[in-house]
Amino acid sequence: MRTSVKKLVTAVSTSVALMGAGHAAAEIQIGIAGPMTGPVAQYGDMQFSGARMAIEQINANGGVMGEELVAVEYDDVCDPKQAVTVANSLVNDGVRFVIGHLCSSSTQPASDIYEDEGILMVTPASTSPEITERGYELVFRTIGLDSMQGPVAARYIASQSPERVAIVHDKQQYGEGIATAVRDTLKDAGVEIAMFEGITAGDKDFSSLVTKLKQADVDYVYYGGYHPELGLILRQADSAGLDARFMGPEGVGNKDINTIAGEAAEGLLVTLPPAFDQKAENQALVKAFEDKGEDPSGPFVLTSYTAVQLVAEGIEAAGSTDPFDVAAALREGTFQTPIGTVEYDKAGDMKSFEFVVYEWHSDGSKTPVN
Amino acid sequence: MQDLLYFSQQLINGLTIGSTYALIAIGYTMVYGIIGMINFAHGEIYMIGAYTALIAITGLAALGIAWLPLILIVALLCAMIVSSSMGWAVERVAYRPVRGRHRLIPLISAIGMSIFLQNYVHLAQGSRNIGFPALIDGGFNFGSGDGFQMSLSYMQITIFITTLICMTALSLFISRSRTGRACRAVSQDLGMANLLGIDTNRIISATFVIGAALAAVAGLLLGMYYGSVDPLFGFIAGLKAFTAAVLGGIGSIPGAMLGGLILGVAESMTSGYLSGEYKDVISFSLLILILLFKPTGLLGKPEVEKI
Repeated sequence: MRTSVKKLVTAVSTSVALMGAGHAAAEIQIGIAGPMTGPVAQYGDMQFSGARMAIEQINANGGVMGEELVAVEYDDVCDPKQAVTVANSLVNDGVRFVIGHLCSSSTQPASDIYEDEGILMVTPASTSPEITERGYELVFRTIGLDSMQGPVAARYIASQSPERVAIVHDKQQYGEGIATAVRDTLKDAGVEIAMFEGITAGDKDFSSLVTKLKQADVDYVYYGGYHPELGLILRQADSAGLDARFMGPEGVGNKDINTIAGEAAEGLLVTLPPAFDQKAENQALVKAFEDKGEDPSGPFVLTSYTAVQLVAEGIEAAGSTDPFDVAAALREGTFQTPIGTVEYDKAGDMKSFEFVVYEWHSDGSKTPVN
Repeated sequence: MQDLLYFSQQLINGLTIGSTYALIAIGYTMVYGIIGMINFAHGEIYMIGAYTALIAITGLAALGIAWLPLILIVALLCAMIVSSSMGWAVERVAYRPVRGRHRLIPLISAIGMSIFLQNYVHLAQGSRNIGFPALIDGGFNFGSGDGFQMSLSYMQITIFITTLICMTALSLFISRSRTGRACRAVSQDLGMANLLGIDTNRIISATFVIGAALAAVAGLLLGMYYGSVDPLFGFIAGLKAFTAAVLGGIGSIPGAMLGGLILGVAESMTSGYLSGEYKDVISFSLLILILLFKPTGLLGKPEVEKI
């Protein structure tokens, strides 16, 4: 009995060791880090679905340099502290390429660790300019910057020649950053800013804020932040009879805002990346998502798909899986992707990326405005 | 006139939120008054009340029932029953076994319970914000057509009236009923009450059940008023209500009411006249000031060391 147990243990440990060895030889691990749970998990769903699809399709076409891509998924809950933990476990797991993170406030601290440890990061969603301002070599994104998105929103508001505009933000890196960009552009255009104020993310009671907006008699309210708070503000503003048009960044543009705000979400203006799923050349890909029962229309689905594709093409172009070689290849090359032609500048930002203004409807659909 | 309307509007906003703080604060203050511990899981009981009410409302809507008073009453009853059983169970499982030990032990047990309940709801209901249907719509408007209009919604009126009814009922219960008298006796001296033949375990359970039922009422009201629930919202509301209880004098029921109202009005006035960013700064500074100059809170009685 004793010997048989011993044999069993040896057999199991040998096979585990072999599995481990096999793992390292013929596969390239791609980490996907973003919120699987938490208040903004629906954006995480877009990210994971896009990245998984890309990995599947690349593997179906023979992988990268003959090796298979393997997804390793991590949940950062859109929490900066958790993002650091995730980044450390990625390092431990020996992953060298990361698609993520999603929230700017998570991407920022995690990217410090990736840069130090020689891990290449491509964020499909973080728009805070500060992320690529630090001269890091291994940080890239497949999305535009707040400094591009803010002015698009501000120019739209200015073109409607409003009398007074209020700007509200959630005091987080993403929300406040974009709100500041909007304020500066509006000021330059000579629009009167009646209010510039922060709220606390996670708050539920906005009755005082709504009263203040009513008192200030504003025509437009720009909100920098995410949908859980804006949904409540819309709803409470509607029931208090505030007559103003609301506008927000892509962080508010998803269907969950409709379950919170209901009818009050009708007419909300949102700046989003262009609807890549509407482009003619992407229809085969859109069909692949629909066949899997997934929705490719979210703003981060195809940016995540592209992030994986760029990592794969970067590896092919560099002929190496060393993250520094891949980063150099990405900076040099020009890539044809579902989000258009991608070229990188030195900082790791795309040379061109446009945002579009959409009008949101209470059934969760959207129509382009300009 | 404009300024007066604006002031009144902020006052109404503050009183609305303050009354619900008061409803939750009662749970903290009653438990503290009787066994001298802070039940940190109380905010979660309130959150579970809101979720239960939402599930009941959705269920009734699925059955095709559209008569508003029936929906509200059923949702309220479900929320109260589930929250009360939860309050009872929490006391039985987490607090009774450690009662009478060092003060820190039940406190840590309470924090553990709070984390457990939060994560339980995360798993059972998901971590997303869920929209709460606005069942009570509309309201009164005051002020001229052109300038600032003050509005008093039916929902706000409902919150005032419900809070008033709950508070009155609770005061009557504590001062008139047999169980209420036993509650007071237990809070004065647990050991002596036990010697005199009061079933103290039963009274303590009753305290938890009453506190939880009031929290469930607040859960339903605030869910409808704000419009969404998520597993974390009990934590923030619990913190505020706890502050209200300390502000008014922990252990004192009128103190909890007063503390809740003051905190609510202070918050809405700060966001109304200064900036929303300073809301929490002002309310917690208020708390520190009161504790510095009157450590027992506004209506609290100084604790006399019994020899």
